[in-house]
Amino acid sequence: MSFIDLLILGFSEAMTPMNLGFCLLGALLGTLIGVLPGIGPTATIAVLLPITFFLPPLAGIIMLAGIYYGAQYGGSTTAILVNLPGEASSVVTALDGYQMAQNGRAGSALAIAALGSFFAGTVATLALAVAGPTLSVFALKFGPAEYVSLMVFGLLAATILASGPVLKAIGMILIGLLLGMIGTDRATGDARLTFGAIELFDGIDFIVIAIGLFGFSEIIANLEGSGSEGVKLAKLTRLWPTRQDFREAWPAVLRGTGLGTVLGLLPGGGATLASFSAYSMEKRMSRHPEQFGTGVVAGVAAPESANNAAAQSSFIPLLTLGIPSNNMMAMMLSAFMIHGITPGPTVLTSQPEIFWGLVASMWIGNLLLVVINLPLIGIWVKLLTVPYRLLYPAILLFCCIGVYSMNNRVFDVVLAAGFGLLGYLFRKAKCEPGPLLLGFVLGPLLEANLRRTLLITQGDPSIFVERPISLTMLVATVILLGLMILPSFRKTREEAFQEEDA
Amino acid sequence: MRGPSAAQRGDRPDLLTALIFVGFGALGLFLARPLDGGTLAQMGPGFMPRVICGLLILVGLAVGLPALRRPLVRIEPVKIRPVVVILLSIVGFGLAVTYLGFVLASLWLILAGAMADPGGKMRQTLLLAAGLTAFGALIFVYGLGVQVPLWPF
Amino acid sequence: MKLARSAALAAVFTALSAGTALADWPADRPIELVVAFAPGGGTDIMLRALAPFIEAELGATIAVMNRPGASGEIAYTALSQAEPDGYTVSSLNTPGFLTMQIGRTLGYDPKALCPIARVVEDPGTFVVQAGSDITSLADLVAKAKAAPGAVSVATTGLGTDEHMAMLQLEKAAGIDLTAIPFEGANEAKTALLGGHVQVIGLNVGEAMSSDPGSFKVLAQFAEQRSTLAPDLATAVEQGFDVIMSSERGMAARCDVPEEIRARLSAAVEKALADPAFLDVAAKQGLPLAYQSGADWTAAMPARLARFEEIFKLVEEDK
Repeated sequence: MSFIDLLILGFSEAMTPMNLGFCLLGALLGTLIGVLPGIGPTATIAVLLPITFFLPPLAGIIMLAGIYYGAQYGGSTTAILVNLPGEASSVVTALDGYQMAQNGRAGSALAIAALGSFFAGTVATLALAVAGPTLSVFALKFGPAEYVSLMVFGLLAATILASGPVLKAIGMILIGLLLGMIGTDRATGDARLTFGAIELFDGIDFIVIAIGLFGFSEIIANLEGSGSEGVKLAKLTRLWPTRQDFREAWPAVLRGTGLGTVLGLLPGGGATLASFSAYSMEKRMSRHPEQFGTGVVAGVAAPESANNAAAQSSFIPLLTLGIPSNNMMAMMLSAFMIHGITPGPTVLTSQPEIFWGLVASMWIGNLLLVVINLPLIGIWVKLLTVPYRLLYPAILLFCCIGVYSMNNRVFDVVLAAGFGLLGYLFRKAKCEPGPLLLGFVLGPLLEANLRRTLLITQGDPSIFVERPISLTMLVATVILLGLMILPSFRKTREEAFQEEDA
Repeated sequence: MRGPSAAQRGDRPDLLTALIFVGFGALGLFLARPLDGGTLAQMGPGFMPRVICGLLILVGLAVGLPALRRPLVRIEPVKIRPVVVILLSIVGFGLAVTYLGFVLASLWLILAGAMADPGGKMRQTLLLAAGLTAFGALIFVYGLGVQVPLWPF
Repeated sequence: MKLARSAALAAVFTALSAGTALADWPADRPIELVVAFAPGGGTDIMLRALAPFIEAELGATIAVMNRPGASGEIAYTALSQAEPDGYTVSSLNTPGFLTMQIGRTLGYDPKALCPIARVVEDPGTFVVQAGSDITSLADLVAKAKAAPGAVSVATTGLGTDEHMAMLQLEKAAGIDLTAIPFEGANEAKTALLGGHVQVIGLNVGEAMSSDPGSFKVLAQFAEQRSTLAPDLATAVEQGFDVIMSSERGMAARCDVPEEIRARLSAAVEKALADPAFLDVAAKQGLPLAYQSGADWTAAMPARLARFEEIFKLVEEDK
């Protein structure tokens, strides 16, 4: 069958009323849980998995996929409105998105995020349809050595996204790496840095840190700043993005989409790395890097399109190789297996309607999400006009439920309160928590892969420069480091930030 | 806040940063004592923590030492009330939700949390607490199946 | 209304298990099933699939709660602190439940937890790339003999099933392999396909459901061939003394009345025989192997002894 025939087959499968209905249901549910902090798609899908026993395979999988990418759309909403990233991949969206909302441009930020996500979703879905198998071969080239080099590069690039001194950003990354090491060492089974608490044996959940550092400390800082009466946002200027906004957004969307599609193929921190590095790249390429962090359209467009592209392309290894690249994909795999379908090269040829039906439904789902989300923007923006005195207890409650519901234990709630205090101290010390979160997410991957690499080579580090992909990453890291250390660069950087202060 | 104390030195936010960095580094090194460092080929669980903590202390010093000589920059004034009230209400929620159920925990969180902001009207706060609790129970406990009891019994 | 419902349920019970003394249990409130792993894991999916069938047998509702962490210790501790009234049961997995008893201080007493029923027994396997020139354990051993330490085996960490199987093979064949820890079966599979490691350890369910065009299974580490892989030779058949399997089932506190535990066990047994469940299990690739609580309990000490022996090998390997 030709590509067009397969595409038609896919669309005819996805457009049946039943499949369309489940696609819509999944997208709606995903948007809902994406907006609620802490309630992640993984837990929701786990709870819904048994229901899919009773659905035809494609319908069930379409619904679960809808929840997954719907949550990506929803996740940016709270990041923009109340500075509360629900997932690692929307941490950077909060940097400029929240500032845009503070400046009365919440509508623009949300619309750009939704449209950027839709574009990215379309491109990544197309990539899956056209080049899925080829792209997955690329993902396989990434062995432990390549990961180490990629992580080092990604962490260094993250220092760009903070607007303070580089040293502070590096320190925050290091704290993140350290926090990521808490828990049972996977390789040896030893408990590390746990204070002997069994609740820490599996490490700290990302949500606990994100809600503490961002959610709780933001509330404290707002109340401290001026009391709830004083938290006034700039008057809402207009609901939709201006032509100027679009002009600034589209190159960022393009670059973010490309980066996200590629990095989404990689297991683990792919989507997170994608959104962080898309933001860093925009800031590097911008003629006005000093404006980043004050509400720049590109600072929302790039990470949002990157993380949505990555969410779609993370399906590629699952569908073409049968290997899930993260927890979510592992759940999708079990949804397939419940129906006796083992995704992989065999299914691509023996049951093309499954693969192509899913691909087509992913595109339809993205379209539905834009249609759902654009009208919602009006409502979300109205939410910001609710007095802060009424808003902050609601945010507190949602955060607390979210944290508690992850493991059903008190410990996590108390720990999140602790991170709230730490986040408050960071504010007083003028340290930005963004890089810490990236370090936290990537740290365990960096360490595990470093140890793996050196185990495989029996202690010989020359593998890092012998393998071409790894070498390229390391060269890029050195260049970046050079740029940071070069006095002239540092000077312009300082000038840039002085301008901002002025 | 400027004036007679202009002769004083020290960039306080940076000094606080240094304190946090060095503190985390030192705490990490302390906790990592029993962990085996291993060799490069067989890295033990203690290898990376030590490297990271060492770097963290170095970065902390690099931030802190120059800050000592810079002119005085004060830390923004601290208001104790919102910090304490918000954190206590969160911790209280955590304890209450397992033993007393969602409804009482949620009421506690909102009523106690509202104390962080002195200007509130009692009636409004009570209504808000009741409304949010009902909404939370409906959406999270019934709708999304969050595993938590509603009532103490 | 409530009366009428309990009356109806009571009638169902008398029909099911003629006249028990504990008339109330389990009708008046839901039974809490504590799962020691996160939602979506193998144990969670298995128990969530099984729960409705047990519900039907007991005429009760079951609420699945996830208490993940510390390879089960958090859930087992929670179970040991629950009321011994039969309304709280938990998942139970070996080797985790047994190996944590070796040289670790626990927050609960393992002897106070009694197995209700074993649901599956999942033996380990060794898997290589489909195109690999290794086709049997003997090939693997020959390769490792030629280049000690150069053959790398992906495991999911020190002291896990795969690692213990590897150590047994090293000892049985007198070879030296290199264990590379990964974060789970899927990362290991990716590394195998990318050629970054030569061998990976998977359990039989995972191995048999992997794409046959990409993976080749060398041996299963069961005592008898698993129902999922009747054509795959065991390691013992191939001449190497390697036996390693994980078991998953359910447990309750030992001081729950004997009668209630017996009824739970019977309900699980019946649920496992339900053709509708067998269908679900077949699709999920579950290697069902029911054992009553009593039989499973009786088999535990011998297993524990074997693990203690292997752990000595782990310590030597460190």
